Formats: sequence, structure tokens, C-alpha cells
Amino acid sequence: MADQKESFEAKDFGWMVAMSLLFFVLVAVGFWLEYSTDWGTYQRTFPGLLGHYGKVEEARNFRAGIRQIWIPQMGVTDRCVTCHLGYEWASVLPATIAEPLKPHPMNDWLAKHEFARFGCTPCHGGDGAATSVIGAHQGGRGWEDPMLSRALAARNGLTMNEMIQMRCNFCHRHDVATPGMEQINLAKQLFKKKKCLVCHVVEGRGGATGAELTYEGDRNPELLNFAHVRGERTMFNWNVQHLTQASVVSPGTQMPDFNFKPDESRALTLLLLSWRRLPYPPEYIPDPEVAAAAMQPSPTPTATPTPAATPPPH
Amino acid sequence: MADKLKALWRKTFWAWSPESERESSEAIVRNFWLHWFPAKVARASMDWNYSFWLGTASAALLLILTVTGVMLMFFYVPSTERAYGSIKDLEYAVSFGRLLRNQHRWAAEGMVAVVYIHMARVFFTGAYRGTRAINWVVGVVLFLSTLFLSFTGYLLPWDQLAFWAITVGTSIAKQAPLVGPTVQFILLGGHEIGQQTLLRFYVLHVFFLPVFVWVLFGYHMWRVRKDGGLAAIERVRDARTMIPKTTPASKSYSLFGITPGTSVQVMSSTGLEESDQVFSSPNMSRRIALVFLVVFNITLLAALLFNAPLEGLANPSVTPNPAKAPWYFVWLQELVASTTVRIGGFTVSGALLGGILLPGFLLGVLTLWPWLDRSPLRTQGRWLAPERKRQNVTFAVATLLIIVLIMVGVYLRGPYWRIYWPGQARPETPRLY
Repeated sequence: MADQKESFEAKDFGWMVAMSLLFFVLVAVGFWLEYSTDWGTYQRTFPGLLGHYGKVEEARNFRAGIRQIWIPQMGVTDRCVTCHLGYEWASVLPATIAEPLKPHPMNDWLAKHEFARFGCTPCHGGDGAATSVIGAHQGGRGWEDPMLSRALAARNGLTMNEMIQMRCNFCHRHDVATPGMEQINLAKQLFKKKKCLVCHVVEGRGGATGAELTYEGDRNPELLNFAHVRGERTMFNWNVQHLTQASVVSPGTQMPDFNFKPDESRALTLLLLSWRRLPYPPEYIPDPEVAAAAMQPSPTPTATPTPAATPPPH
Repeated sequence: MADKLKALWRKTFWAWSPESERESSEAIVRNFWLHWFPAKVARASMDWNYSFWLGTASAALLLILTVTGVMLMFFYVPSTERAYGSIKDLEYAVSFGRLLRNQHRWAAEGMVAVVYIHMARVFFTGAYRGTRAINWVVGVVLFLSTLFLSFTGYLLPWDQLAFWAITVGTSIAKQAPLVGPTVQFILLGGHEIGQQTLLRFYVLHVFFLPVFVWVLFGYHMWRVRKDGGLAAIERVRDARTMIPKTTPASKSYSLFGITPGTSVQVMSSTGLEESDQVFSSPNMSRRIALVFLVVFNITLLAALLFNAPLEGLANPSVTPNPAKAPWYFVWLQELVASTTVRIGGFTVSGALLGGILLPGFLLGVLTLWPWLDRSPLRTQGRWLAPERKRQNVTFAVATLLIIVLIMVGVYLRGPYWRIYWPGQARPETPRLY
């Protein structure tokens, strides 16, 4: 009996062989997927680019692999630079190079907002931890904080620069006005001029007629009533229309129709959405007086900063 | 010197050494761990069409889950601040991290399904009679443990999906009479989901539940052995006893009324004949290896093709619309939702009926079924025996209803828990910008 081959023996053996082969194929596919990354392609072309513009030594020392700007105190792990390899080479690489290798433009504020101290996502948004194109820029399902791209800004009637000012105000919240933040500066002026604090509480000050706005940017978009909102169902759009014609968007509201111009209501929306509960540590929060001094028209850096006549409202 | 070392080695690691060959063999026979496989198994138990090897597939999934789970433990941090980030790291920065997580995820969801189908197979073959009733109850406990293992693992990524699924699940548990709030409090380690909940679920998920399931699985296997193998052999036994063995009528004598006829009517033994059996090694060990390989390949293929879900970071102040329980509990959520009645301004919550009483009743009946089943014993080990038609149909219909409820909950329920048919436009979820 023991010597006799069972009827299923050959069949089982055949299946074993087939399944083992499939196993090897699947493992091979796994390796292939692991090594065919979005960033691998870009990293292979970058040393050549560096060499082309005379940085032979740097090109030779280029090491492939995931790169990140890690700022634990800000909660930032930005792997954007895994693909956006040219970001700090503005002095060498021309601005005409296509993304993602294009250098970051040398804006005035970069001197005070070093890459190593601020990373990428605090200004640009997006998912810094991601190392895939879609994952980083759009985030996965339910990712609330997409990258503020040109296209996204254009959909909201703004430029990317204007849209990003919202994120500048995460830290510059208490500035009365900040150089380079025209949208937010305009909004802060309007906020004071239209006396929003008469009805709304912000940071413990103001009247209690309207909703508290201290963390307006953290509101759940799903809890807003979009029944009377034209166009896209976004919190941005809701705010733009609500600020202009509150009586239309929220029938029965006590808020008057301010009939702002479109750019004004967009600026105010940016300000409102910038008011979030954020984990940034105090050393990242600028002194409002520094911004106030910088906003003075006369270039006298030695002059003592004039304290604002009224304390910054918010 | 060598002898002394050897003696020291033995003293350190062996509490007892067999004195004779007989003691050696008895040691193996008595050993819980070395006792799973008999020397021979019935050919009927090897049949693909009888068991579909679903129990072995469940064990394979458990092994895959243990191995991938231990590997994931090297990267996962059970803290509300770091958990989500560590999953992102696995997804994007750890070599093969995404594959590892995907395989763990799909094996876990697969195990819930396979364990249930295994139980359904045992039911449809009536393989829980006699001493096997104990193993049926052990199996029900294993199934519940699998659900709880999967449920505790669901929270760990600490994303919106996890957070709100556990919120829904534990809110249903809260509705249990008398003990509900206490059960929820113990599960959550407080009144709402937070760091304590994550830590509790983590410790349960990586230590207590797996150890419990592995030990109980060992007992489950040992009992299969002690019960004589799969119930399929009962069918063979019955067939054997029914065929009289013809013995050469070499001698005729009367048995004085003990048995009719002029010769001893030798029926075959109730034990299995040699021709019914095959050697466990290599036949069964090869088959088990094959099932493990097939299951591994399927989970690996799923891991390569589909990514485990990961949504935004858990946010207690933003409830996704709709928030759904894990799919294997969605039918309970669906029951809760559909048994919740609104009369005017009053709402009669269905959580007690749909979330506790009905599933509790089903579970109770399921556990006690071996003692409630009054069908003749000859039905055991037979697929869909005609004598058990009514109970088989009931089980199938109940299963089908649960599947329909799961399908409705998973695929048709949209915002505000309304039904949206496939192709029907769902309201766009409002975004930030």
C-alpha cells in the first residue's frame, strides 16, 4: 500500500510546481514594483543635469534614494525633495528646467524661511510623507490638505502665490500687515474696516452674535449648507459667496450682505481659512512688530519700531 | 569533558529524558504539539470537494498574518501622534513596506471570510455531531476571536476610516443591556477614542488575541485528531458496516440463535480499512504545503494589485459622511439603521435590537446548534444531506441575508446613510478648496 502511488499524488505535485512558479513570478513582480518608483526615474536624470551645468563633483557624489526634510518640532517630514531635486540649485540651474527638477525661485522671503527650517508643505500643502506623484500632490482618499497648485488656485480665481499667502498666515496670524502678503493684508484691513468683531469672536475678543471664527479654517466642510451656493461645493466657495451675500447662502442669517468685490471676498476667505489650530512651536511665530517695521515706507532699519496704535486684532 | 557538557546541556534544557524506546515513542504520542498528524489519514478527508481545505487555508492565513504582523511591528508606533505617520512611512519610505501592509490587510479580511466559509462547510456537512460538538464550539470562539483580531487591527492606522469604524463598532457594543456602557468604557479606556484606546487595541491585537488564537487553534487541531479525523470518515464507516463481508462458507455451524444463518455474518470493522487510508507523510504534508502556497500566492497577488485603504489622519471633530463599520460588522450597522424607528420627535434606537439582541440570538443558536440538531446521525460527513434540508436552507438564507446587508451597507449606502444605486450620482463630498 505504501509503495503504491495515490491517485492524487501526481496532481498535487503538478499543482505544487505550478504554485511555486507563480510564487516566484509574484515575488519578481513585487521587486519590479518596488524598484520602478516615480522618483527613481527623476533621480537617474538629475546627476547628468548637474554635470551639464558644471557641477561635476556634486553630480559624482549624488546618491540615489529617498530624501527628506525632517523638522520634528513642526511635524514635518517632507520627502518632496526626493523628486524636486533641483530645489536649492537656483544659482546653478536655469529656471527653465521642467518640473520636478526645476530649482525653487529665489524669492525674497526664502532668506528668512530656509528650506531646512521650514520644509515644503508648511507653505505649499500636500502630503509631504508621500513619495509618489499622485500621493504627494493630491493625497489619498480623504486627504483634506491638497497641494496648493496653480490649477487649484486658478479654480478658486487666484494665483498660486495668492493662495499660498493663506498658509503664510498660519504663522503670521498676528501681524497687522506683512510684506508680500497682499491678499491677507487686504483681508485684515477689511476685517477691521467692516468691524467683524462686533458680531464675531476671534481669540476671545468680539461680540457673540455670530459664530466664533478663531479656528474657522478647521470647520468641517460637510457641515456647511451648500443648497444656495453656486459652483463647486468647496468651503472656499461657500465662504466667498457667504461673505458677499450672506442672506442668499444662509437664508435668515443676521449677517448683512457686504457685497464685497470678488477679490475682496476671496482675500477674506483666505484669511478665514488660515485660522487653524496648528502645532507650530513659538519660535516659528514671528513678532508682529518686525512685520510692522518692515511695512514702514521709509527704509530706516535703525528706527525703533512704532508700536501699533491698537493691539493686533487677531 | 564532552560528556560533562552534554550532561549539562541536557540538565539545562531537558527536564526529562526517556529511558527506553517505548518511553520515547510515548513521549511523542502524548505530546500536544507533535500529535497533530496521525500516521495515516482517511482518503475521504483528502478529498478537495469535501472540505475544500478551508481550515488549512485559515491556518495559512493566520501564519501569514503572524509573520507579516511581526514585521509590521518593527515600524509601527502605537501612539496617536506617530501611528498615522508610521503607516505613511511604511507606505512610502520602507522597502516593501506597502506590500507588507497590503498583504497583512488582505490576509486579515480574507481570514474573516475564509473562517466563516469554513464554518459554513462544517455546518452543511453536519460535521459537528457527537464529540465533534466541542470542536464546533471551539470553532465559533475562534471565529469570534478572528473578528475581534481584525477589529482591533482596524483602528491601528489611526486614519479617518479606522477612527470612525471603531467609533461605530464600539457604539453598538455600548447598547448591550446592563454591561454595554462598561464594555465600551473598558474597550476604549475612557469615554471616547484616544491614546488609551489605541494602546489597548494594539496590545490586544499584537499579543493577547494572537496568542489566544494560536493556542486555541492548536487545541482545535488536537481535537480533530481526538475526534478521529474529519467527519467524512463517518460516511466511509457507515458504508463499510452496511456491506456484509462474504466469508468463504467453509464450515457451517449453528450459533444457537445468536445470529441467523449458518455462518458468521462478518461485517467489516467500524474502523477504517487499510484501503481507506493513506500515509500522512508525504500525502497530507504535501497537500498542506500546497494549500499554504496557494493562500500565500493569493494574498501576495491581492497585495500587489490592491492597496490597503488609508485616509486622512483621524480627526474626532470631522465625521466622514457616511461613517461605516468594518465590512464584517456593516450588516449590524445596517440592522441598527433599519430598526431605528422615528415616531414624530421620538427616536427608538435600533442598536439594542439590531446590534445586540439579534446577533446575540444568532450567535447563541450557532453555538448550541450541535445539541439542537435532531437529524439522524448518518447525515454527518455528508454534504447537504436531505434529512438536514430545512436547517441547511435556514443557514444558507441567513448567510445570504447577512451578505445582502453587507453589500447594501458597503456599496449602496452613501451620504446620510441613504441608498444610492450603482450609477446613481452621489452628492459630491464638499472639499476645502
